[in-house]
Amino acid sequence: MTRSRPRGRRRVFTLVNLGALLLALGTAAPLYWLVANALKPGAEIGRVPPTAWPEDATLDNFEDAFVGAGFGTYIGNSLLISLSATVVVVGLSTFSGYALARLPMRGRGPIMVALLMISVYPAIAVLTPLYLAERQLGLLNSHLGLIIPYVAFNLPFAIWIMRNYMLSVPRGLEDAARVDGATPTRTVLWIILPQVRPGLFTVGVFTFTATWTEFLMALTINSQDAYRTIPVGMALFGTVYEVPYGTIFAAAVSVTAPIAILVLVFRRFVVSGLTAGAVKG
Amino acid sequence: MRMLTEGAAVPAPRPPGDDRRPRAGAPVRDHRDANERRMARVGWIYTMPSLVVIAAVTIFPILFSVVLSFARVRITYEGFSVEALTLRNYLALLNSGDWYYAIAFTVGYTVVTVAVELVLGTLAALILERLAGARGWLMALLLIPWSMITVVSAQLWSYMYNSSYGVITWVLEAVLGLESAPLILGRPLPAITAMMVADIWKTTPFVAIIVLAGLVMLPRDVYEAAEVDGASSWTMFWRVTLPQLRATIAVALLFRVLQAFGVFDLPFVLTGGGPGVATQSLAVMGYKVLFQDLNIGPGAAIATSTGLLVGGACLLCLKAFRSQIGREELS
Repeated sequence: MTRSRPRGRRRVFTLVNLGALLLALGTAAPLYWLVANALKPGAEIGRVPPTAWPEDATLDNFEDAFVGAGFGTYIGNSLLISLSATVVVVGLSTFSGYALARLPMRGRGPIMVALLMISVYPAIAVLTPLYLAERQLGLLNSHLGLIIPYVAFNLPFAIWIMRNYMLSVPRGLEDAARVDGATPTRTVLWIILPQVRPGLFTVGVFTFTATWTEFLMALTINSQDAYRTIPVGMALFGTVYEVPYGTIFAAAVSVTAPIAILVLVFRRFVVSGLTAGAVKG
Repeated sequence: MRMLTEGAAVPAPRPPGDDRRPRAGAPVRDHRDANERRMARVGWIYTMPSLVVIAAVTIFPILFSVVLSFARVRITYEGFSVEALTLRNYLALLNSGDWYYAIAFTVGYTVVTVAVELVLGTLAALILERLAGARGWLMALLLIPWSMITVVSAQLWSYMYNSSYGVITWVLEAVLGLESAPLILGRPLPAITAMMVADIWKTTPFVAIIVLAGLVMLPRDVYEAAEVDGASSWTMFWRVTLPQLRATIAVALLFRVLQAFGVFDLPFVLTGGGPGVATQSLAVMGYKVLFQDLNIGPGAAIATSTGLLVGGACLLCLKAFRSQIGREELS
């Protein structure tokens, strides 16, 4: 028993290392290809056999994306829409999450189940009435026209996550605040909020990522060039006959790199936040 | 319409200082003391803005979509008009081969990708758990595809699959010597497989991270007991680890299934639903009928049927949902 253990351990270790290597390679290879081709000039992108690394590395594609294709507009739209939606969602979900975790309301259970079901309902099933309504209200092709549905669609999951974080705050804190005569709103803002900071961060990251990557609603509601978000702009680049991959990849690197760097820098915080949220939610 | 106007006109203000507003319809029973009732009222005031926004933008449209699916709708310059109520939209669906194919494709796609992602994700989580130093870096790397815009990864894969200069085509052709490789996205079965590979690349990390979180929380002493009993690592995985991970894997499964069922971005960009309708999911089909052909009634019928399928799946999982709440309430 004791003799077989170290041997088993050693074998597992090499298997683990091999697996980790495969995992890293499999994940990284397409990413490498994205970066490499963003740096290749047009002719080299279409070359057969493909060149393993850019032989004529150039930044022309980036110039095309931002100057020629107006990619900056899309980034601006995406930033405005995602940040607004995220701020509103974090604000609303804090109070709702607190109420659903702690306040003695009837029907909390059914509300939580309903929220969970709504948060997984397919967007396509909601899109027609939403489109018709926004058309009627003149909200098509506007920033608000996307912010409102983004808030509504991300709130249910956000409320779930916030509620779960709220549950982990010790009750004694609130009781003390109440004895001191603090109003409920004061209690939430000054006592609870500092305790659930990781929760706020998780909700923020989740909502921002979800709205930043959302495609179907953005495609139907904001199809006009001036109001396109990044995914829509990226999908509608080029024509049926020619897809300007170089420009697309340069744009892709420009929007992926900042997020990747953020993830690398804050990886411990992000990962713990994501796992807490995902497992609980 | 009205409900949505109201929801839109109130741009969801945060409710600080709202607690002195008059009661918002809190259910009141005599046996609860005054303070409890007051706190319940505060609770409803806190929750109302969220619930109103959610109801206006999701629940109301879901119901209205059901109405539209029974209607003949005409789009005009001023807006739209519902002309007649009819069952024709659904009868047309029942006679449409495309609709049955879209259901079969969506279900098959969901089953295969989620199954592969669960197996690979669990393996990846086991690897990550045993990895000492490089775990953080590998996880950061895994997070990149997950946080990527699906449209971006779809464009990337469409380039790699390209029939004349895609790197994967080149590998299959020149390195592996396959004659038939060049048309990956041009033939049904290879196109479906290609799409699944792209999905698995992007979503396996999500499963891996959830399972890893479950793994880390498993109690150590069970392992020690099993080790004392002389269990091999293989037995240990099947008898000790996996049974304890069941709840975690169920959560991952639930979320992945429901997400995969609405798959839209990837087929829309990678294949446009083609060749023919080979990769046309329910969402892609609904989108095409609704917004490219502007057939509101039939499109709403497709959307509603998709919603019903998802809703049915949800009801089947209701017990899992409930237990999820129960578990949290205990903690």
